[in-house]
Amino acid sequence: MAMMPKRIKHRKQMRGKMNGHATRGQTVAFGDYGIQSLEAHWITARQLEAGRVAATHYLHREGKVYIRVFPDKPISSKPLETRMGKGKGETKDWVACVKPGTVLFEIGGVDDETAKMALVRVAHKMPVRCRLLSRRA
Amino acid sequence: MAEVLKATKRTDRGTHKARALRKAGLLPAVLYGHGEGTVSLTLQEHELEVALIHGEKLLQIELDGKSQNVLIKDIQYDTWGQKVLHVDLTRVSLDELVTVAVKITLLGTPVGVDEGGSLQQVMASADIQCRVDQIPEEIRVQVNALKIDDVLHLSDIELPEGSKLLGDPEALVCNVVTIAEEIEEEEPEEGEGIAGPEVIGAKPDEEETDEDKD
Repeated sequence: MAMMPKRIKHRKQMRGKMNGHATRGQTVAFGDYGIQSLEAHWITARQLEAGRVAATHYLHREGKVYIRVFPDKPISSKPLETRMGKGKGETKDWVACVKPGTVLFEIGGVDDETAKMALVRVAHKMPVRCRLLSRRA
Repeated sequence: MAEVLKATKRTDRGTHKARALRKAGLLPAVLYGHGEGTVSLTLQEHELEVALIHGEKLLQIELDGKSQNVLIKDIQYDTWGQKVLHVDLTRVSLDELVTVAVKITLLGTPVGVDEGGSLQQVMASADIQCRVDQIPEEIRVQVNALKIDDVLHLSDIELPEGSKLLGDPEALVCNVVTIAEEIEEEEPEEGEGIAGPEVIGAKPDEEETDEDKD
């Protein structure tokens, strides 16, 4: 099931800005290898889930996958063929705001080659360009 | 052997001046400690990078014709973790005891991993107290004997002679865990809809009226 918050303070949010680089969450903290975003983008809960599935399927239950971002921003949209007005649309998706430098996924407990191959598969599911990072570097 | 870096005193302060220095291949740094005053410095970026690549923690700087031993206290990197932005140096004498964070490297494949477990390193570095000239490059820990559900605490680590471990001895360094089978949750069928999150402080009738309005 897609990730979303359990409790929220407001049902809808404004779109906001994603200026600048990430100033936190930009190093590998839990696993041995990770992927870092090179662009600013909204990453939806579905895309994160697709990345997680891609990694776990490749790893065959070995190692551990860490997701370092959480989709806590509701994105609303109006239904198709609806006239303008009548208020803001209903929540369609949940997204994580990702700035350049944010580490998205990490993998630990597997050998280097396997971790890299799994992360390449995860990176293909992301809407941003990514690069591989290692804790040792 | 400590690397010798050429340093000059810096009077220009602020973001703009620091950026100009970095563009010119120099690096802003600060020197403090031993009850003497804080001095702003400029280092050669390349010299420091070479020292860091060699894993040096203890450096020698040449300032105003005098050479002094300094320890790297803190390094600020850019967002990408590649370019050094600023360095904090502290004055030390070679027989002084200092507290430093040293990387923990796990060596070998645990028995538990062959049995289907997974090795998790929880602690990446440990704080130790040792003489300045005896700072180890890394702490190597053999984990071959670990079975499934075995844990390695900080107190189990053997340190080089003259080093003392700081921090909680019961702190977890690594463990071998069994990987829980993932439960695939069924996707809700189309039209079924997913219940949204609970709105803090919202009255039930309020939400209903909002939906009616739409």
